[in-house]
Amino acid sequence: MSAGHGHHHHERPASAVELRARALEALLAERGLVSTDAIDAVVELYENDIGPQNGAAVVGRAWVDDAYRERLLADGNSAIAELGFGGAEADNLVAVANTPTVHNLIVCTLCSCYPWPLLGLPPTWYKSPPYRARAVSEPRAVLREFGVELGAEVEIRVWDSSAEVRYLVVPMRPEGTEGMSETELAALVTRDCMVGTALPRL
Amino acid sequence: MRRVDGVHDMGGMHGFGPVVETGGELPYREPWEPRVFAIQMLISAEGLGAGPGGRATREEMDPAHYLAASYYERWLYSAEQRLLRRGTIAPGDVEAMVVRLEAGETMPPHADAAMAERILDELRTAHPMGPAPAQGAFSPGQRVRVRRMHPQGHTRCPRYVRGAVGVVEAVRGVDRLPDRATYGEKIQPEPVYSVSFSSEELWGAGQEPAFTVLLDLWASYMEPA
Repeated sequence: MSAGHGHHHHERPASAVELRARALEALLAERGLVSTDAIDAVVELYENDIGPQNGAAVVGRAWVDDAYRERLLADGNSAIAELGFGGAEADNLVAVANTPTVHNLIVCTLCSCYPWPLLGLPPTWYKSPPYRARAVSEPRAVLREFGVELGAEVEIRVWDSSAEVRYLVVPMRPEGTEGMSETELAALVTRDCMVGTALPRL
Repeated sequence: MRRVDGVHDMGGMHGFGPVVETGGELPYREPWEPRVFAIQMLISAEGLGAGPGGRATREEMDPAHYLAASYYERWLYSAEQRLLRRGTIAPGDVEAMVVRLEAGETMPPHADAAMAERILDELRTAHPMGPAPAQGAFSPGQRVRVRRMHPQGHTRCPRYVRGAVGVVEAVRGVDRLPDRATYGEKIQPEPVYSVSFSSEELWGAGQEPAFTVLLDLWASYMEPA
């Protein structure tokens, strides 16, 4: 890395890596190889259109519609397509359901595989060495950091996304939600609930 | 350069500290990071790169650099390497542009609405694996042992399952073995299986109650147990 710190009118000096990233974009744009509006479109897609609200809609539907839940667990791709979702990094979606005796947790120890069309781009912790190292070797200790304590009767099933399958955790519907609408229910379903590092709460 | 057993293969490693940290819940921390993500997607979609895929390229990073780098710094590395291999950019081009930017030059945007449409279409399109074969190497319920091996270069068989015995739970479909496909070899797809392992089998008796770890493994990684 030869780039030093510049003298830009920023709140703080750009790091060498940031300068290099800006230089690569400028280089490709100047040569007409990558368009800035295509870059903007990708960034905006995952900031505005695609995020955990998609996965939450899927879970909300599964909580109110038993037939949909069965279809989701049997064929994830088709079930999420019913709600208009799908695409890159959900090429082979498998939904796994939590029960009173099973809790599912998703990780990618080798990299950062994650169901983008349902959850957006992964949080930093998901891609970081501590989570990738520990989720498969001490899941209860990891869950405790997230404030999740599970009884000894619960089998934890950790899914390491080592191939092209992407996973979605379908959490259990909380008690006391009997009168709630599908939309109200979906609002209880956070991103971490669908990775397995949180439980939905009223 | 192909490496064996890279530092990216982190399952079960120790010493990285807590998972939950301030700011860690965000997908990125700096505005340039999602732009590097987008550039990497466009390099692939527009055919501007060459050589192993972005992921295998990131695994070739010097291990100390890999660990020190932020996630999207690794993506910047793979973007540059793939462009260099294709000859889309030449050594020194990025450095020269850094100098121009530091001298205060501003770069005009380049608009191409059709390219934006193409990448959005691509990101909205799923490419599922081929259907599971009627008869494969293994069947659900069968015990399998993951081969003891140290593949040259990219693999999707993490170190921590090699040599371990598990149980096939499902057939996921067929897919080309990434160990060879990412280097451009023309090979036939093979079955991919969901395989479960007990925590005792992987780690021995631990401090936590027994749990289960499941991976999706290509047939080539396994033998009957």
